[in-house]
Amino acid sequence: MRESHIALLRAASTEAKLLLIGIPVLVWTLLPIYHMFLFAISPKDSAFSGKLWPDHPTLRNFGIVFRQEHYFLHHFWEQLWNSLFIALATGALTLTIATGAAFAISRLKVKGGRTVMNLALFTYFIPAAFLAVPMYRTMGVYGLLNSQWSLIIAMVTIATPYAIWVLKQTSDNLPVELDEAAVMDGASPMQLFRLVYLPLIAPALVAIGTYAILLAWNEYLYAFLLLSKDTAITLPVALGNFLSADDSPWELLMTTGFVYALPPAAIYYAFRRYMVSGLTAGAVKS
Amino acid sequence: MASVAIRGARKSFGTTAVIHGVDVAIADGEFVVLVGPSGCGKSTLLRMIAGLENITGGEIKIGDRVVNHVPPKERDVAMVFQNYALYPHMTVAQNMAFSMKLRGAPQAEINERVKRASEILGLGPYLERFPRQLSGGQRQRVAMGRAIVRDPQVFLFDEPLSNLDAKLRVQMRTEIKELHQRLRTTTVYVTHDQIEAMTMADKIVVMHDGLVEQIGTPLELYDKPANQFVAGFIGSPAMNFLKGKVKVNGSATFEGPNGVKLPLSQAPSSSDGRPAVYGIRPEHFTIADDGAEAEIVVVEPTGSETQVFAKLGGEEVVAVFRERHQFNPGDKIRLKPDQRVVHLFDEATGKRLTA
Repeated sequence: MRESHIALLRAASTEAKLLLIGIPVLVWTLLPIYHMFLFAISPKDSAFSGKLWPDHPTLRNFGIVFRQEHYFLHHFWEQLWNSLFIALATGALTLTIATGAAFAISRLKVKGGRTVMNLALFTYFIPAAFLAVPMYRTMGVYGLLNSQWSLIIAMVTIATPYAIWVLKQTSDNLPVELDEAAVMDGASPMQLFRLVYLPLIAPALVAIGTYAILLAWNEYLYAFLLLSKDTAITLPVALGNFLSADDSPWELLMTTGFVYALPPAAIYYAFRRYMVSGLTAGAVKS
Repeated sequence: MASVAIRGARKSFGTTAVIHGVDVAIADGEFVVLVGPSGCGKSTLLRMIAGLENITGGEIKIGDRVVNHVPPKERDVAMVFQNYALYPHMTVAQNMAFSMKLRGAPQAEINERVKRASEILGLGPYLERFPRQLSGGQRQRVAMGRAIVRDPQVFLFDEPLSNLDAKLRVQMRTEIKELHQRLRTTTVYVTHDQIEAMTMADKIVVMHDGLVEQIGTPLELYDKPANQFVAGFIGSPAMNFLKGKVKVNGSATFEGPNGVKLPLSQAPSSSDGRPAVYGIRPEHFTIADDGAEAEIVVVEPTGSETQVFAKLGGEEVVAVFRERHQFNPGDKIRLKPDQRVVHLFDEATGKRLTA
């Protein structure tokens, strides 16, 4: 009895210590989001009142945003679509390239696979910000500026090396006998890829797809450089433009930002199981 | 069904040669076991038959077709892997149907063959389950089902039982043998377990360091091992080896370590004084007054028999008795080898000397 009591106490104290760390971190993370939310439900004149809850909470700001009833919001839906299209295209392209590469390197053991992996790793020695200007020049040379494809290509370039690494590690953990069994069963490399390989790495694909989508969705620097027309920019760039006026409509800026933050939160919540298992896959030998 | 002929097969990985010219003839419908210690090249040879490894030299024929450059899927052989290699995302039925699906067989035929295979293996109730929902033995059966469904020329088994626990291993051993007796498909089976080889094979191929040491029926290998390696590998507990010299003056005897005299039934007079290795299986010792004196070190009763480890002329030997003796460590006993079943090997080459 006594011993189980002590064990219980010990477990409770561990829990308490975790909470002691967890609660401040949670507050620290949620505070800006709450601040944003507070702005979004406050009328324009009381946005800066500094209260923890507005006297007259309202959803009017959301109406203004959705109906595009402000100078800065004239292209809201179009810009949201730009963000969405660019994010989805980045996700799809990154997955296509990275699965192909990981399959070829890990399963088909093509020559030069190691070199490709090392080069992929090498790209991370150069911070993405350093490449922004050269990338801008390159896109200009190819006449892609202000085209959504310029940003998609740039994002795929940044996301792919990491995606290849994670997928290659995941692939390496699949037993080689599965491929051999499929080969004995008469599968061609393409059938092996489609019928055996893809279904088995599906969880990692969800994680990597989400990673690439969110990377493109949240991108600001490249989007700002490569896209400039009001109808071509993504929503984060449009949000930045709010600050070009002397009296920025902060409550609308925050409302739009809040709307923009919802899809990633939803995606992350929906796929959280895959995110954790996928992104740590291959970290340790299981 | 088909015969398999391996002639002068060689395999190198880079500059490392692992198989140095192997000849094995496997008759149609035969159950052949490749056995040997790990690293002897048995699995590599099997994979060369399967087409998963290319052939560095020599020739492999399935039926009357040389398959050296034929891709695996056109060889019409099915393989069962050690870790089952079941597709985790497919049900039992889908696993078994996979090869036929790839070949574009009509659905009716696929269903019929899967049904037949599942009946043979007793997998009927599990067809809609996934591999993760099955026990080890059931998974092994599905792996075999996948091979049966194809009705191939040759079955290849790569240590299929080594992932199972001891009891299940014995049970599956019998099942595989029964299956072969029923289907009569030519089978090549790789194992490192000599008991598996002895119990299942029509013919055993003992391999060692990339070479075939001996080919024969289980009892041929047991009764007439061609060399000291085969003698030591086949049989459990392993054969006792004692170094010494052959003495022929009138009758033949063997002078073992520290002058221990051991009986020999016959030896040519020319072999007098020849250094040799005396081989005697543990079960071929009897207790007799005219036996050689030995001191008991350890006694291990298993119920059906008792294994006795003893020092004979300073060398440790093991003897097995079915009858129950009162043995205690430290006791002196007189061990007499049955001279009709003594094996004599050349000390330098390990080759068998007795006929």
